[in-house]
Amino acid sequence: MKKDEAIIIVIETIKKLTDEQIIAERNTKIINDNPIIDSMKLIEICIELEDIAEEHGFNFDWTSEATMSNTRSMFRDVNSLSEEFAKQSENKK
Amino acid sequence: MIIITGASKGLGKAIAKNLIQKDKKVLGLSRTNNNADFDILKCDISNYESIKEVCKYIKNKKFSIEAIINAAGIASMNLALTTSKKSTEQIINTNLLGTIYSCQLFTPFLIRRGSGSIINFSTIAVKLALKGESIYSASKSGIETFSRCFAREVSDFKIRVNCIAPGPIKTDLLRGISDDKIANILKQQVTQKQFEISDVCNIVEVLLDEKSESINGQIIRIGGA
Repeated sequence: MKKDEAIIIVIETIKKLTDEQIIAERNTKIINDNPIIDSMKLIEICIELEDIAEEHGFNFDWTSEATMSNTRSMFRDVNSLSEEFAKQSENKK
Repeated sequence: MIIITGASKGLGKAIAKNLIQKDKKVLGLSRTNNNADFDILKCDISNYESIKEVCKYIKNKKFSIEAIINAAGIASMNLALTTSKKSTEQIINTNLLGTIYSCQLFTPFLIRRGSGSIINFSTIAVKLALKGESIYSASKSGIETFSRCFAREVSDFKIRVNCIAPGPIKTDLLRGISDDKIANILKQQVTQKQFEISDVCNIVEVLLDEKSESINGQIIRIGGA
């Protein structure tokens, strides 16, 4: 999966799970100082991405040592989450 | 469907059979093969990958999971100083890590469903700080704290996490414990009697019932302590 495709998936997932309240962009922060979503919504997004990953034939592992890190977390922003999603799709082929 | 770990014997098996009698669908998990007359999948809950395999099975079968009952556990009545490294690791890995892994990996199924109940198991020994149960109690004490914190983490998903802490219930785990020791424990309970597996099954039913919506993050000590 190309990163651009992953970005579209992540943005659409956020849009869907926030009832279109949040229209995220590539650089939208997810869990940083001013998070756009709470932890509950973050879990919902992860579960949705896990299901989408399965439809694309790979497992999306959203556990990480650095989930809450502002500098290393895959959940920093839409870009980093999409990058990780695309990376896992390539690694697990 | 209700997932029950440790379903091939003891408390887990009794709970499974009781729920099946009440027309509940049960998916039992057990490390060992068995002769149970209900569905049991082989799974070592102390092994993260083993649980992930069960998750794949559940997804493939498109089961809707409404509850998780973490009844798998091993006991070892032994002084901490005379317990081997291997036994220590087995107790912590199965009781504490197994419960945590199960909650981590199975809870997303409850979230997808929109609600659910998780029941973990502790022991009255935690409250009574019994001599000869340091490591076992430490593993169960960890389960109690994990359950209380985890309940807060998932309550917004309409998932309740509670813990049942039985006293000396008549199961295989009591094998080798003298009558005197059991009597001594019973004396320290609020209700000084030895409860039965059926009493535990009753509490499980209560906690599974949606009428128990207000019971969350609780440690229910059977007999009281």
